[in-house]
Amino acid sequence: MSSLPDTPQLQHRFTQHCRTGIRTTLPGVAPDRLTHYRQAIRHMVKDTMESAYPITCANIPARKWEGMVRTFFARHACTSYQVWKLPLEFYTYAVENNWDDVYDIPYLSDLLAFEWAEIEVFNMEDIAPAAFVSTGHWLETPLVLNPEYRLLSFKYPVHREARRARLLKEKGAWFVLLHREPGTGNVKFTGISPWLAFVIEQLAAGITVKDILEYAPQLGITVTEELEKDTLAFLTDMQQQHFVFGFQP
Amino acid sequence: MVGLGFRREFAEEMISGTQITPDFIEFAPENWMHIGGYWKKMLHRVVEKYPVLCHGLSLSIGSPEEPDKEFLRYVKSFLDEYQVRIYSEHLSYSKCDNAHLYDLLPMPFRMDAALHMAGRIQQVQDYLQRPLAMEIISYYTPVSPEMSEIDFISEVVQRSGCQLLLDVNNIYINAFNHHYDAKDFITRLPLDKVAYIHMAGHEQVSPEMILDTHGHPIADPVYDLFEWTIRQIRPVPVLLERDFNIPQMPELQAELTRLKTICHQQWKHHELVA
Ligand SMILES: [Fe+2]
Repeated sequence: MSSLPDTPQLQHRFTQHCRTGIRTTLPGVAPDRLTHYRQAIRHMVKDTMESAYPITCANIPARKWEGMVRTFFARHACTSYQVWKLPLEFYTYAVENNWDDVYDIPYLSDLLAFEWAEIEVFNMEDIAPAAFVSTGHWLETPLVLNPEYRLLSFKYPVHREARRARLLKEKGAWFVLLHREPGTGNVKFTGISPWLAFVIEQLAAGITVKDILEYAPQLGITVTEELEKDTLAFLTDMQQQHFVFGFQP
Repeated sequence: MVGLGFRREFAEEMISGTQITPDFIEFAPENWMHIGGYWKKMLHRVVEKYPVLCHGLSLSIGSPEEPDKEFLRYVKSFLDEYQVRIYSEHLSYSKCDNAHLYDLLPMPFRMDAALHMAGRIQQVQDYLQRPLAMEIISYYTPVSPEMSEIDFISEVVQRSGCQLLLDVNNIYINAFNHHYDAKDFITRLPLDKVAYIHMAGHEQVSPEMILDTHGHPIADPVYDLFEWTIRQIRPVPVLLERDFNIPQMPELQAELTRLKTICHQQWKHHELVA
């Protein structure tokens, strides 16, 4: 019988070391070569995070950022078999562990959400839109939206600003619409008001602009001619941007 | 057939096919599953133009845990959708304690590991209804071995009935890093099982160590080993892997041409027989 640990035990020790850097005993393993694996994996994870989160990474002191990535990879068991989804696990881990407070970066989860959404919308599987026609009545015909979008809400305007002091001053309710352009596949993002965010949610549920406007007073919103005009101007513009595809036939 | 690994960096060039003309392409299903938009369109365009072979990264056949059923289901439908001719993977693991490490880690060369791996390969082959071609990986340290690498590989191949993906550059690197003779190693492999060959570049980073970078042109001694190797086997597809430090297309095309010329010379007899 062998006096050595069995294979699963050896694999556990090898990978634990690669993830945490904590010393381990592995008979027959050259320490410098084990270090090589640890470093190769660390670099890969760090590169993946830095290319997914360039703004976040650039706005956090390097050692703090590296510590965050290291902690994440050591403590979290990454479940995605696709490397490009690894940054989503980082974002989720940051939220679950309340990193906004832990690292004293109150806008951290907003920033990660914003950067991740761009990757997600760019890569997301194709979704066939509902049938639509290009003419209709803006107020009365239900609109058909580009289904490849995300509507995000933030506490800090991370889509406009990355400097800490300015972000902290502008705490509030911010909304960003990201959608994928059907022709080019590029992702566009548009900062929008809370009202327009509400309109988009309702439009996506098939409600007409007229019905949304009629419901608005129940939300404490005063419907003026200007609001109606601005809403329609936004939607016309979003048709140019290929977010509004057209009208239900 | 000499192919080239499909990469986003030179997707346009491969689709246009003016500067580079591989006989087939290879890619990792993991990098293209569940993807829409721009890259899905590009994938469809390249797949229309070239035959496809797939080389997986995340199956982690040597893992202690059970294979990921959901992942395998997607692999199966992906292989069908793109009419993939060969699905290859690695004699390795990249996941442990249910955590992916995104690297190909060396299996301990031990009987319990060989039996485990052979069982897993059979399980996956049964599910996918096709043989797997398993690649002998480059590795930088043995892990508590109780048997030789060659015995380990032979045991897995014999018990599982899998095919082999012979990465000639890997064998060259391993022979250098672990002080053995590459030709002797290859001679002792079950060569009738070789279904596919990989070729790539490496970098010597110290007097004792060569790294498998896929970021350099194929080194001359690896071409020599390739030429010698293919004399020992029947014709199989050959792939050039270039993942980093991407050169101009004519440089890659020159490597493809050199590989084709060697194949043509060494496999002439087979071509005549066929
Ligand atoms: Fe390879």
